[in-house]
Amino acid sequence: MIVRPRWADFKVIGLYTGKVIVGVGLLMVIPLATSLLFREWNPAIDFLLGIGACLAFGLGLEILCQTSRDMAWGHGLVVASFSWFMATILGAIPHYLSGHFNSYLDAMFDVMSGYTTTGLYLLQDLDHVSHGFNMWRHVLTFAGGQGIIVIALTFLFQGTAGAYKIYVGEGKDERLLPNVIQTTRAIWLVSLAYLMVGSSFLWIAGMSLGQGPVRGFLHAVWIFMSSWSTGGFAPQSYNSIYYHSLLYEVITVPIFVIGSFNFALHWAVWTGEKREIYRNIETISFFTTVAIAMLLAMAGLMKLNVYPDIIALFRKMFYQVVSAHTTTGLGTIYSRTFVRQWGTLAMLGIILAMAIGASACSTGGGFKGIRMGIIFKGLIQDVRRLISPESARIVEKWHHISTRLLDDATVRMAMLIVLSYAGIYALGTVAGVYYGYDLVEAMFDAVSAGSNSGLSCGVVSPTMPTLMKVVYLFEMWAGRLEFMSLFALAGYLVALFRGR
Amino acid sequence: MRIVIDRKEKSWLLNGRLKCLWLAFAIAVKVFLVILSDPALGEAALPQISLNPDYTFPTKDTPSGVEVNSASLVENASAWNGRTIAFKGEAIGEAMMRRKMAWIHLNDDAYMWKNIEEGAQLGGYNSGHAIWVSADLAMKIRYFGDFKHEGDVVKVVGTFNAACRQHGGDMDIHASTLDIVRVGHPVHDVFKTTRAIIALFLLAAAFALHRVHTIIRRRHAF
Repeated sequence: MIVRPRWADFKVIGLYTGKVIVGVGLLMVIPLATSLLFREWNPAIDFLLGIGACLAFGLGLEILCQTSRDMAWGHGLVVASFSWFMATILGAIPHYLSGHFNSYLDAMFDVMSGYTTTGLYLLQDLDHVSHGFNMWRHVLTFAGGQGIIVIALTFLFQGTAGAYKIYVGEGKDERLLPNVIQTTRAIWLVSLAYLMVGSSFLWIAGMSLGQGPVRGFLHAVWIFMSSWSTGGFAPQSYNSIYYHSLLYEVITVPIFVIGSFNFALHWAVWTGEKREIYRNIETISFFTTVAIAMLLAMAGLMKLNVYPDIIALFRKMFYQVVSAHTTTGLGTIYSRTFVRQWGTLAMLGIILAMAIGASACSTGGGFKGIRMGIIFKGLIQDVRRLISPESARIVEKWHHISTRLLDDATVRMAMLIVLSYAGIYALGTVAGVYYGYDLVEAMFDAVSAGSNSGLSCGVVSPTMPTLMKVVYLFEMWAGRLEFMSLFALAGYLVALFRGR
Repeated sequence: MRIVIDRKEKSWLLNGRLKCLWLAFAIAVKVFLVILSDPALGEAALPQISLNPDYTFPTKDTPSGVEVNSASLVENASAWNGRTIAFKGEAIGEAMMRRKMAWIHLNDDAYMWKNIEEGAQLGGYNSGHAIWVSADLAMKIRYFGDFKHEGDVVKVVGTFNAACRQHGGDMDIHASTLDIVRVGHPVHDVFKTTRAIIALFLLAAAFALHRVHTIIRRRHAF
């Protein structure tokens, strides 16, 4: 029997959603300060309006839904998915008011892309947007990378009761420390420490490349935020091409590779367990699949003789493949170059890299290295079972922070999530093909949206059909939250109408 | 006990996994070399991605220095590769000086003559090209386009490279001449009073709600 949710359930969901929305409003203070600093008055008003709307909505919801009831697992998952949706609607206010979007849906698309660290965008005339607005785009992606729930947990939640349940709902389940609030603070500690170091390197690099100190600083902070959170946004429409610099590429690649690693791995290394880097199933899986994707892309590029020498070929191939595999989406080639120069084989290499994606409990998306590793080990275990005597007990181990025995339930869970990802990739591809796009091009952008990568071969554009925008928006949302909280939200909606 | 497990894992890593990894790597390299030595690669010089007829492409009658837009250059990059072309667009961002040379970026999109802050209609993404030009010529540009400026519209003539050998495979234009077609100007964004009033109203509402929220929380605390 399906139990219909009661008003008391909605109060729990409303209360915590309100807190997250207040968090989004407070985040807008950063771009507001940037706009005021650079005397960009109209963008500053847009952010004030956005802050007012978020605070009024969030606080109103908190007042309306005052409750002392404990949060259940179902509530936590629904809060995660619902608050992401509401944060997208309200976070899009400054976007829409900027006048750079065809519709509110387009503005929401960009905000969802930011939160989910995808990096696809429908913003028009990016090269003329204000510093404040560019700051907002990158703060969105930086905050989204750590998780907007993580932000709310870090700064707005006082008790820990129920906190872990919405933390899990956001697609993270690692406890670095015994207390989940301490865990979220540890995630911020790691990210802010890297922000300071990484931005400093990029700032120095930018100035050596001919940028002024102010623009160099802003670009450094934005590109760091984008790289670290595996976001893919950039302050100029040329993306990483704009810098024409091997140095910039050499600095950004480690940032997005490190950003794509599991927070638990970061914490292990920070606390002295350096061996974890090469023992962890995710790092082994990552380097193996990166190598396979590189071989595919390289073979495709060599076959078409795209680049004048092996160094240029390797430089371009390496940056795009690693950017795709970490689901970052920064690129040193034009979008259409994938189609018009790279060709199908190299594009398949990039699609494979994007589909597999980054590590679990990281800023990235995709199947995740841990699941690829588990499924591969599950396959090995099954093959070993087949060729061993029936009485033999086949044991397979996998290592992630601690060494564990592989069981069927773990493999099944990994397979379920991977199949769900494959489902949303297929959904986006079918939508693209339905509207007349070439199969490989439709697949490229659909996988990019579903895995929160952000590379595009030109399918995503402000003029694409509205239904495709909705499908991609859903893909980004579902892919980032790793389905469970979306299933819970759908279950709640069903229970609302069919429950007793 | 823990030390024993670690040693076992270490030896397993060195004797088992490392061997497997080396073997896999060797096989991958071998496969790759086989691909490289495939006779089919001899056909690589043939254009395997056909021209896109929706965009301009050069024919044998196309004169040197013809003006081409950025979309055509990207869509038919191989066909335009190595040709002398003219390119016109709004200078955006900044000139990034590299000793005696500089990188500039010219956008030939819907916002080339007027940007959104000045009232231009939305016309899609930005599009343009990267130009490698002497620092002396780059310094002729007075305004670069950004939120507060409409940049100079600049015309360059130079060689288009689909994948430049000098610049790590970048698609670029090595310009030999640069002319200012239109000098840019600062953009004055008109202050939106109505929007400011709505913002103040919302902030006042948020403040009032915050007070109510604080009172309710205090009551719950007791």
